Amino acid sequence: MKIVVCIKQVPATSDAKIDPETKRIIREGQKAILNPFDLYALEEAIQLKETYGGEVIAVTMGPPKADAVLREAIALGADRAVHLCDSAFGGSDTWATSYVLAKAIEKIGGVDLVLCGKQAVDGDTAQVGPGIAAHLDWVQATYVMSVERVGTTSITVKRMHEEGYDLCELSFPAVLTVVKDINTPRVPTLKGRLAALQCEIPVWKPADIGAEPSKIGLAGSPTRVVKTQPPEPRQTRTVRITGTPQECAKALIRELRLRSLV
Amino acid sequence: MLHHIQNRIYHVEILPPKQDSEKLLEDLDLFAFKYNRVMESGYCACITDNAMGLLAFQGTEVIEELKLPVYPEQVMIHLNTFHTKKNLDEILHSCISLGIRYLLVVSGDGSERLPKLKPADIGAEGAETVTSVELLQYIRREYPGKFTLGVAFNPYEPEEHEFAKLERKLAAGASFVITQPLIEKNPVVDRLLAKHPGLPVIVEAWMSKKLHLLSDAVGYPIPENTEYDPIETLKSLHRAYPRCGAYLSLLNFKTHYDLLRDTWQSK
Repeated sequence: MKIVVCIKQVPATSDAKIDPETKRIIREGQKAILNPFDLYALEEAIQLKETYGGEVIAVTMGPPKADAVLREAIALGADRAVHLCDSAFGGSDTWATSYVLAKAIEKIGGVDLVLCGKQAVDGDTAQVGPGIAAHLDWVQATYVMSVERVGTTSITVKRMHEEGYDLCELSFPAVLTVVKDINTPRVPTLKGRLAALQCEIPVWKPADIGAEPSKIGLAGSPTRVVKTQPPEPRQTRTVRITGTPQECAKALIRELRLRSLV
Repeated sequence: MLHHIQNRIYHVEILPPKQDSEKLLEDLDLFAFKYNRVMESGYCACITDNAMGLLAFQGTEVIEELKLPVYPEQVMIHLNTFHTKKNLDEILHSCISLGIRYLLVVSGDGSERLPKLKPADIGAEGAETVTSVELLQYIRREYPGKFTLGVAFNPYEPEEHEFAKLERKLAAGASFVITQPLIEKNPVVDRLLAKHPGLPVIVEAWMSKKLHLLSDAVGYPIPENTEYDPIETLKSLHRAYPRCGAYLSLLNFKTHYDLLRDTWQSK
């Protein structure tokens, strides 16, 4: 099975700053990490490879420093990686980004399955996975919580929603976006990390993937961010509990139950 | 472990490189330097396991990768409950193949990125969660006779609770104890020594000037401007606890290592 995992480098902090002019996240000077949801997609891909054989290829679109997340993917167990890096990709919204990723997947060729995290923690749109499926015209399942069966021509997954789950069978090739419940991501080994330091990662530009200039970057992005503002601060209330330890414990449990926390 | 104390063998904590290190090769060299110095000194290298929940490489994989020598009496691996079952068994198998016998079994500090053992993973279905007690039981049951197991003792926790926990740890197979950092004679540790006169106890000496971290460890604030001399503290602990070994945490190899030789004279 040939599996592509689409990953993204995101700011490490939840306190991201927004550029008031461009309405985009300021990434300069921020510590960057692999999008946490993408770790679950990577882990699932590696587990599928370990069980059924094949190859896992990590792909990202981003600036030169995004190379770090591809090396992390290799350290975790991806076989190789592709970096989509060019100033022409800058300013792409989710539609243009998913177009670029879809073109890269076409160029890789022979891909059976594309895995993505359910969303990136910086944009929180959850649109890129479905966008890739739309551009490729492949079947898709979002919010996948488990892989139930893998056949020669299809994969059966459980798809989470508010009231339970859907059991879906998808013919290959397919796109899945996954949630945290799907697995427990491994931690890279030292051997993996050292191998990742030394590996060559090819950098692909628009011409390498046959991307049309009008469909990438700002030109290819129909989204216009008109306004952004931070959410209202949460209202907090401090409850002081007094009494004997037994009384305090009872009162604490009562307060937690009132808030459906236990 | 008793002979470590009788022969005045220091337990020197070494932190393996962190997973997010941007200078991994340098950090590996530094680890090898510290480890080899500890071996040459005849001390025991104690390698932490994701200390403070910060992702780091495992001691066993670093030793294997760097092909460092293992003298069974001179290496101790910390092992906590934040692993997958597969990873836990891999670490234990590596210890056996490398000849590492001493394990310090602790509950550990987790983080969002670290998996946590589930009771069912290690045959502890009756437990609500996996603590050092369940981990000790598992190691003793699945790897009989392979390891000498130690546990932590925290004199800053509620006293009766900590003693009850220690009894469970001893019943589960622990045969030596390492305390949280002490900066002076501690009545709870005195009680521990009186209660278990035959139990090897190693007191932790804080060898760093980072007092905010020490405050976290002891659970009460120690002002940053407090005058703190790690070597003097260590000497006073030797005087206060002549029957105990010493575990040196966050030791500065540049400024303090050479001073150790005269601090606790070898027999």
